[in-house]
Amino acid sequence: MYARPRNLEQASELLASLSSGAVIIAGGQEIMPYINYGVMMPDVYVDIGGIDALRGVSAETDEVSIGPLTVHRDIQNVEEIVERLPLLAYAAKQIGGGMQVHNRGTIGGNIVAMHPLYDVAPALLALEAEVELLSEKGSQRMSLSELQDLSNHGLGTSSILTKILVKPMSPTTLWGYYKLKNSAGAYGSANAAVVIQLDGENIKSIRVAIGAATEKVVVVSGNLDSYLGGPYSSEVGLAIQKTCSDAIGEPLSDQQGDGVWRKAMAGVAARRATEMALGKLNNSSSKG
Amino acid sequence: MTKGKKPSESYVGKSVRAKEARAPLIGKAKYTNDYSFEGQLYAYILRSPHAAAKINSVDLSGAKKISGVHLALCGRDVFEHTNGITDHLNPAIFGGKSTRLPIMAVDEAWCYGQPVAIVIAEDERTARYAASRIQVDYTPKEPVVDAEKAIAKGARSVVPEWDDNVLIYVPFMNGDTQAAFDQADKIVTTDVKIHRFSSQPMETRCYNAVWEHDTESITLYGTCQNPHPLRLVLAETLRMNENKIRIIASTIGGAFGLKMHGHPEEPLICLMTKLIRRPVKWVENREECLLIGAREQQHKVEMAFDSDGNMTGLRDHFLANIGAPSACPGWGMAFLTGLTMPGPYKVENIDVHMNAVTTNKPSWNAARGYGKESTAIALELAMDNAARQFGISPIDLRLKNFITKEQFPYPSPTGLVYDSGDYGGVLLKALETIGYEDWKDKQKAALAEGRHIGIGMAFELTPEGGTIPGTMVAGYDSSSVRVGPDGTVRVLTGITSPGTHNGTAIAQIVADELGIDMDRIEVLQGDTNSSPYGFGNYSGRSTIVGGGSAALAAKDVRDKINAVAAALLEVEIDTLSLSEGVFSSSDNGDATVTFAEVCYASYTRAYDVAMCIDPPLEATRTFKPPGISHLPDENGRINPYPSYSNAVYVVVCEVDTETGKIDLLSLAAAHDCGKVINPILVEGQVCGAFAMGLGGALTEDVQYDANGVQLTKSFKDYVMLRMADMPLVGMAHHDSPNPDNYLGLKGAGEAGVGGSAAALVNAVNNALEPLEVVIHEMPLTPSRVWSAIQNANNSEGVK
Repeated sequence: MYARPRNLEQASELLASLSSGAVIIAGGQEIMPYINYGVMMPDVYVDIGGIDALRGVSAETDEVSIGPLTVHRDIQNVEEIVERLPLLAYAAKQIGGGMQVHNRGTIGGNIVAMHPLYDVAPALLALEAEVELLSEKGSQRMSLSELQDLSNHGLGTSSILTKILVKPMSPTTLWGYYKLKNSAGAYGSANAAVVIQLDGENIKSIRVAIGAATEKVVVVSGNLDSYLGGPYSSEVGLAIQKTCSDAIGEPLSDQQGDGVWRKAMAGVAARRATEMALGKLNNSSSKG
Repeated sequence: MTKGKKPSESYVGKSVRAKEARAPLIGKAKYTNDYSFEGQLYAYILRSPHAAAKINSVDLSGAKKISGVHLALCGRDVFEHTNGITDHLNPAIFGGKSTRLPIMAVDEAWCYGQPVAIVIAEDERTARYAASRIQVDYTPKEPVVDAEKAIAKGARSVVPEWDDNVLIYVPFMNGDTQAAFDQADKIVTTDVKIHRFSSQPMETRCYNAVWEHDTESITLYGTCQNPHPLRLVLAETLRMNENKIRIIASTIGGAFGLKMHGHPEEPLICLMTKLIRRPVKWVENREECLLIGAREQQHKVEMAFDSDGNMTGLRDHFLANIGAPSACPGWGMAFLTGLTMPGPYKVENIDVHMNAVTTNKPSWNAARGYGKESTAIALELAMDNAARQFGISPIDLRLKNFITKEQFPYPSPTGLVYDSGDYGGVLLKALETIGYEDWKDKQKAALAEGRHIGIGMAFELTPEGGTIPGTMVAGYDSSSVRVGPDGTVRVLTGITSPGTHNGTAIAQIVADELGIDMDRIEVLQGDTNSSPYGFGNYSGRSTIVGGGSAALAAKDVRDKINAVAAALLEVEIDTLSLSEGVFSSSDNGDATVTFAEVCYASYTRAYDVAMCIDPPLEATRTFKPPGISHLPDENGRINPYPSYSNAVYVVVCEVDTETGKIDLLSLAAAHDCGKVINPILVEGQVCGAFAMGLGGALTEDVQYDANGVQLTKSFKDYVMLRMADMPLVGMAHHDSPNPDNYLGLKGAGEAGVGGSAAALVNAVNNALEPLEVVIHEMPLTPSRVWSAIQNANNSEGVK
């Protein structure tokens, strides 16, 4: 069965009335491969693609609101995002699969899949994004970090992601994103997003989010406090690398690489993202 | 002799765009899955989740209850209706073992993914759902997964009636290797591990079997490379007459050997239509396609050298993990790995032992290179290893040991006879193409900045066009050329195209022989009811034997046309010339007649001017390459190949020593496939093989857990290279024409997977030389490279 509700109320009511055989579908980039593959055989498809309230990007002074149906290509190109959330726009460019996926896949789908290898979540977590959810119980706002802690296998059909809310990055915010992948067609093996504030030469704050290394994106910020107040140096870079690598508790181990390597790469990606943020990442990719 | 087009107008040698490429490009090609038939049903195959298990019972009742299900059968049911699948290449012919090869598991499953039951339903989803309701009671057994363990004493036999798991053991021996090693100045040992990777065509397999009520026969629209030989296998397996089966092989979206027959689904889907009398379709999914393995070998290459760096002896005892028994010809790859030793090197003392080991992994099928890629990988990694240990250039070591061009035809120590070549010339041309000296300078400069650039090269000798006595792997093939009364031409060939566009090459050859425009020629392949009996595509043979036989047939037809043209113009044949579709004569002033008019007269004036010929304008000819010899020499050895193409691949890469990641910086190949009919087609093959070899060496890997369960199930894990990974390939041709074949042709389609993979490994080892890191185990994933660097760093610390 296929349903295409026209507004959020209809969608919410419909989902509340359905059993476990239903799926929410929008861009289809997450679900269709599973269906084509026979991994999922849903009885009901709830297509939320017709709900206008889930579209569009609007920027207020203190908040950018992103509709979950916004496709990756728009995240990469829409002025409000490119100017106010350049880290997010850049991370979205690193999404694999090529033009077709960028044109169909949505930021909402990318988030609710809670897939550890995806690119959007590390960027949003580094930016301390919040989300708005709608369920039977009504609308609820929480940090993306909380949502990640609450859910283990994606959002399912219990609620609909209705908004992604992010504070605009200030023009003085430094940012970097480093994605390590084995080849152009591979998923990432370590994706690190970094947001840094400097006070003169000195690091005032630093927040790192690392994806593709464990089941959930790991946010490293408090552990980095010892590097605050001083300038960046290659020693500090290596120390950040070690701290971030140490933050990876149970590393993923899959065909892209084993856990020992993954844990080490989380640190390398974090350091390289930091160097990118500070404009220190030159073409040399090796430490020598 | 009449003159056709002037040489400048000939098609052979020109980059003519492939006629068959248009439809796939615009998305309109008719692949096998694009055929559908009224009343068509769909098959879903339930497969074993265990690598080894006793099947206690299969309860189909749950599936049969589902609405829309027409038939559900288990292995034993199918067994009752069929014979074992006929081997594509029976190992027993070569002194190996054989066993009955049931279409589906009966009482025992011998690999993960083996078919256990089949459901036929109105649609695919229903079939799949119904299959999930089948209850199979298994008692799992300890699987035999590893080749070394499989041949260890006390290992369980995968096939209960066999004494051990060695499907076939073949020694390739010549000279006195022991003496060579005893007297050697230096012995270099290289352990090479080649992993399991396959060829993954974009189009997976598909079979549409249609029951023809009029003739009580089966038409199979199938993805197959060898329609006529498959027809015989189906007839034997299904207990039918061969003339009750027709096979139509449509446009193929890549084959690479994987669509050579022996697959259980081929007779299985035909049996379904025979039982139900309605069309039945089965489309392989990617997970199923990834079950088909190849190449997994482990070598211990020992090379003995004298003090001048001349190789005096070669020893290699290798194991191939060929998986469970199968009717597909995959196991033969291991045989060819041994037979192709010692490749391009003139060492005469060899002691090579091949053990093809049966295990509980899914079985192999042929994969581009057919084992010759593994010879190249083993030898070329070992040559670089030797050069490193001698402290000399890998170029010099190769040049010193190559067979020289004066030595052809060269009898190899395994009994092959290499037709022609200039191996040193090919190597130097490849190095020139990539700008070797420039890269050496860049490498030095980069190292000063702490960056690790590597340059690697590898040679691949690729015997092509092979044939094995007593099998349907034939060395010859046939074509018919038919010129119609309007002067247009239909060529029917026994060879087929795996997507390489050999039809265009054949049209070029025929156009030149007939002296007409290529647009007037259509090439038809792959229909057993219309093509001459032929053997399809494999072993880089199609243009050699398809083009060669079409040329012979075209010459015969041209003779008839010339005779009629001469009669019409009332002149001697040798005064005729044909230009732009018009015949004229040096003896008859301005009188002309068009090619089409001559053809029309050939059909319509059989009792006056065309008396001189037997209509119609048709001929069927066979090309049997004369280089092949199936008569054993004094040591019982044969030369099953008519052509020995060869090539050198060069890879420049940079290794990120902090992550282990490899970036490709530059690629080049120099190729000797004899006369090049169409550079676009040959270069397309070289680029494709390069991508396949690099992908294999870098990322493509089919992995199993300790229980023999396949972990690699989709392109998420089996990652092939993309455009962004691969720099453009610098390409050079270095043709030394085959003295025996039409136009000097050698094969071009099969070469390159091993040479390019080996060049990549050699490049990485070259990059890591300053760190004293050497890796001979593929694939070179970042984590493997990183671990090797870490281990080297750690052992440094210990020192």
